[in-house]
Amino acid sequence: MKQFIIIGNSAAGIAAVEAIRKRDKQSKVTVISDEDYPAYCRCLISYYLAGEAKEDKLVYRPDSFYKENNVEFLMNKKVARVDPKKNRIIMEDKSQLGYDALMIATGARPKFPELKGIKRPGVFGFRTIKDAQNISGLLPVTKAVCVLGGGLIGLKAAYALKKRNIDVKVIIKSKQVLSQMLDVQAAGLVQQRLEEHGIEVLLGQDASEIIGEGGIKAIKLESGKAIGCSMVIVGKGVTPNIELVKESEVQSNEGIIANNFLQTNTPNIYTGGDACESFDIALGAHASNALWPVAVEQGKIAGGNMAGDGQKYGGSIGMNSLEFFGLPVISLGIYKAKGGDSSFEELKLSNLKENLYKKIILKSGVIVGAVLVGDIKNSGLYLSLIRQRIDTSAFKDKLLEENFGYPVIKDLMQEQERIYV
Amino acid sequence: MCHDRKEGFSSVTILTVMKQLYYEVKKCLGCKSCEVACAVAHSLSEELFKAIAEEKMPLPRKKVLASRGKNYPVSCRHCQYPKCVDACMAACLVRDVDKGMVQHDEARCVGCWMCVMVCPYGAIRPNIKAKIPIRCDKCKDKDEPACVKACPTGAIIWQEELAVKP
Repeated sequence: MKQFIIIGNSAAGIAAVEAIRKRDKQSKVTVISDEDYPAYCRCLISYYLAGEAKEDKLVYRPDSFYKENNVEFLMNKKVARVDPKKNRIIMEDKSQLGYDALMIATGARPKFPELKGIKRPGVFGFRTIKDAQNISGLLPVTKAVCVLGGGLIGLKAAYALKKRNIDVKVIIKSKQVLSQMLDVQAAGLVQQRLEEHGIEVLLGQDASEIIGEGGIKAIKLESGKAIGCSMVIVGKGVTPNIELVKESEVQSNEGIIANNFLQTNTPNIYTGGDACESFDIALGAHASNALWPVAVEQGKIAGGNMAGDGQKYGGSIGMNSLEFFGLPVISLGIYKAKGGDSSFEELKLSNLKENLYKKIILKSGVIVGAVLVGDIKNSGLYLSLIRQRIDTSAFKDKLLEENFGYPVIKDLMQEQERIYV
Repeated sequence: MCHDRKEGFSSVTILTVMKQLYYEVKKCLGCKSCEVACAVAHSLSEELFKAIAEEKMPLPRKKVLASRGKNYPVSCRHCQYPKCVDACMAACLVRDVDKGMVQHDEARCVGCWMCVMVCPYGAIRPNIKAKIPIRCDKCKDKDEPACVKACPTGAIIWQEELAVKP
């Protein structure tokens, strides 16, 4: 009988528990969370804030999950540090717990810029159900909100607030929305859709101060202009929660570095999810891909390996799917060809009037990324082609055709076909 | 019906109850009768001429696509290791091991399209208006899927499959 500890109770942590229990029903499994909530669908907090999903829809696993899986669940507890030499963890309340194998799935937290007034009440990150509840609680007395950052989190927060009839302005430093996942054309379509629904987008502007006395009165921009608001939501990216290993020999960069078994450099410590940096297939280098499906995939493999499996992880891909006011958007892998590198090629199909824009990026014939706006139906096929690094030169003209589909690529896939006889 | 069978040193349970859809490709003419039948079977009225007029026009959960002169009906395979279930951030896609089916709880679904993003067969398509992904449910309430009945050449085979329960 072993003691498994999983720090983190979200996508990667829960997937790890399920993977361990598939192989090992006996050993002790302890899950530690610094939140006071059973596992919930973190990515749904914007739907919750928008009023589109009630709290019960946020339940990721039922309350009975921990009991049914014979898991000791410690809520509201924060791990201060990991001591790999003694195979133990030390909590902030000084209590200790020993382990045979440890999974660090501590996730990430919002980055707050160093800005005068950033500590004022009324400034929120948008990451936890508590954030959503705190924001929601203030909406009856809130007229205008400024969102800092035009990434996914910022825009999802803006969307939710607009749905609640709040006056929203999004302040974005770069020259486009979603600059980490879309090119200028695709971003333009998203921005247009947001603006059509009354969300104001300010590009190329950054905040210099959050003004107020006690609460918030306005945001001052670097240009000197001030925008009145009584709440600020910060969506300026996330920082992996890795402080607990900072003083140990567990190797980390921005995130904790995982090998292709999702093991850290300490063999009985595993990692996954937003806290981890793993091999990125499209980039060909280690990167942190903070995304629910990636976290589940990593948690599953890490958990299995903790219980004695030897499963290799193929690597992650930066990707995302989003939808604003009926406009679906998917971004996969590398979304802009590297300028000056002639091995890159872009295939495009666009009809901006119809809100349609599709682009595939190839490097030496292999798809390394795609951006799809308006029509997302074949994205899973492109993802497979990226993952399996398949040379598409022979059929690349077909990739963006309306009737492109699985039959075109089926003979190239690793998995053997069994339903077509 | 299940029974245990020794295989090597490990005991596995073999289930023989699940029925799967198979396609005899050389018989498929690409007539799309299956697409029409599928859409009608998933409409409110379940009648072709009424279905066309329904406010939310029903969409087929199956598409016949051609490649190199052959036709292939494409729909959800209810994978044993479904990527869509792992990707579902709302926990509304679940694989029912006993039924051998990936089931979708539409009431919980928010239409985030993560499942569309990861399906390696392109078998999940977004119904943008309804904010619901559409995929084959094997006509779960009926004795036989509508596509099987509709196929004029018998290219769609509805057959039990041996599956190993982990």
